[in-house]
Amino acid sequence: MGGLISYFRGLLGSREMRILILGLDGAGKTTILYRLQVGEVVTTIPTIGFNVEQVTYKNLKFQVWDLGGQTSIRPYWRCYYSNTDAIIYVVDSADKDRVGISKDELLYMLREEELSTAVLLVLANKQDIEGCLSVAEVHQALGLDALKNRTFQIFKTSATKGEGLDDAMNWLSNVLQSKK
Amino acid sequence: MYHLVTGFYQMLTKRDEYNILILGLDDAGKSTFLETAKTKFTKGYKGMNLKSITSTVGLNIGQIDFSGLTFNFWDLGGQKELQSLWDKYYDESHGVIYVIDSNDRERMSESKELFDKMIKNEFLTGVPLLILANKQDIIDCMGVREIKPVFQQHGHLIGRRDCLTIPTSGLTGEGVDEAINWLKDAVKRNSILRPPKIKS
Repeated sequence: MGGLISYFRGLLGSREMRILILGLDGAGKTTILYRLQVGEVVTTIPTIGFNVEQVTYKNLKFQVWDLGGQTSIRPYWRCYYSNTDAIIYVVDSADKDRVGISKDELLYMLREEELSTAVLLVLANKQDIEGCLSVAEVHQALGLDALKNRTFQIFKTSATKGEGLDDAMNWLSNVLQSKK
Repeated sequence: MYHLVTGFYQMLTKRDEYNILILGLDDAGKSTFLETAKTKFTKGYKGMNLKSITSTVGLNIGQIDFSGLTFNFWDLGGQKELQSLWDKYYDESHGVIYVIDSNDRERMSESKELFDKMIKNEFLTGVPLLILANKQDIIDCMGVREIKPVFQQHGHLIGRRDCLTIPTSGLTGEGVDEAINWLKDAVKRNSILRPPKIKS
């Protein structure tokens, strides 16, 4: 039924794409959201709850939800899963100790039926910090080779410096456009 | 009775599903080839703007349904540091497409070494192999006649598996139909050794 409704909605006009930004606390989700929206680094505090903003990128409108990443509030992520077109999963590449937890959360999330068609974009963030994990290392640490039925891409980014986000959004908007 | 009906229904609707791996050096044209194949074999699929395709760091999947079967493509990133991830996909693949940039003479030997390393892997033994001499739309590029000997130097590694080299251009679509149709026949022939997944 939901498929039918979204089909007719598709006929009526372009729908806003719904994107979730997820990841552990302190990965840089809120910084990325505002980097995308206003193009600047804003001072953030840990998100309890969520931030939602409308972001326009190359004529595509995205509704971007940035959900808090602390252990206690991660169970609530699933309340936001329905109708999600893409997931931006942010990893703190310098936080080697917790990359395993990040992997578990990711795999747990991808098992959800509601997200089965969502595109996955992984951001290996904080690449400006020396000694951080490389893209291939993040790929391996997150166990992404187990994903065989979903389009995904990893980008290295530094949200504070604004590096890599353009490439990532470029890719995302291309993929979402062809999905539409 | 119920089982008879459901069995009959399943027989009508089931499709054999084959996994096809697309490999090759970075910038060989793997993702572009996949997009073109998807556009050609999927009715009503618009496809991405081929020029906007960037280098893959991760996985692109594509699915095409034709001639009563389904191909699941896995298009992996070809950069040096990502090559180590390829073998995770080998044992589940039914066919491999190896893409070569025919215009990149400098990296031809690098591509060949990578190719040898790949076909040596025991998990790919017997799996049909399709080599694409891609980017044939570029005027000065190497032809199949030049490329084929390079990649068949170690013919014994290829062994008895089905193997074909054909000229293609992901951009213009040259050779794409031929490639997919050949691979279809090859994976079917090999289905005794690597049976397809059944999708109902």
